[in-house]
Amino acid sequence: MTRVLYRWLLWLHPPAFRREFAGEMLWIFEEAAPEGVAPLFADGLLSLLRQWLLRSPPWKLAAAVIGGVVEVTAGGLGGLLFMHAHMSARLAAAPLKPPATPADLLAMDNFMHLVMWVAAGLVLMVAALVSWVRSLNGRRLDRLAAGPRPIRDGGSGGPGALRAGGVGARAVTGGKSSVGTGAKTGATEIIHA
Amino acid sequence: MSDDPISFLPLSPATLHILLSLAAGDRHGYGIMQEVARQSEGQYKLGPGTLYDNLQKLMNQGLVESAPPPSGDDDPRRRYYRLTPAGRSVLSAEIARLESVVREARLHLRIESPGGAV
Repeated sequence: MTRVLYRWLLWLHPPAFRREFAGEMLWIFEEAAPEGVAPLFADGLLSLLRQWLLRSPPWKLAAAVIGGVVEVTAGGLGGLLFMHAHMSARLAAAPLKPPATPADLLAMDNFMHLVMWVAAGLVLMVAALVSWVRSLNGRRLDRLAAGPRPIRDGGSGGPGALRAGGVGARAVTGGKSSVGTGAKTGATEIIHA
Repeated sequence: MSDDPISFLPLSPATLHILLSLAAGDRHGYGIMQEVARQSEGQYKLGPGTLYDNLQKLMNQGLVESAPPPSGDDDPRRRYYRLTPAGRSVLSAEIARLESVVREARLHLRIESPGGAV
């Protein structure tokens, strides 16, 4: 059962990674499962997020997020339509007569609150998505402007330890860059050329 | 791809442990995981996802490459990996950097320690 679940988890990885490493990862899972499967599943989930969020070209992720937003939006609109139909039927069955009863007013108030919250949520979600995609494009353009990078990134520092900045910190000034290690501190020093 | 090993530094802990485990010889993925656990006395355990993410990166950088399986191991699910000369250079540079860090840390600790002992 756990093997099937882990296989399913591997199947969710990007195709290129899956083709190259899924077989070996499944074999390791079988070997290491007797010591406990929980850490393996946690690592698998982290790997899934890392492969899609950090290692895949941004457009794939953007397409996935847009698809998710469309689904959520459709679900939200469906919910609104359902609520509207439900409320209409209820109001038709018991038409409001002036003055409206407190229960009717409360129901209408709740309905309006729901509409406002859903609308605000959708607006925030779309705004965040647009902002995020724009920042991704901006970073990509910056990288292109800075010239070719020998190292794509630094990878992860361990289970759950994601590291920004890559294996070498890099500064670009005037089209030149240089990286070295400080002899005294051991930390990477950035030399502006 | 930069030829300068310094440009790869500092290495992440996972990368350092993987390169270290391959410095002694060719290993398959599970062998690397076990060697990393042994080297760190069980304090640092790599999961398969983290391992292959780093292996993929190291192979793209030309620091690690696939190796033929040793004679007697005909399990097709096992794939062996080994350090390239570039990978060995980067590992050596990282060890030198870490030695410098440790030397400096010992110096500072000795100065700042109340009793003067490290």
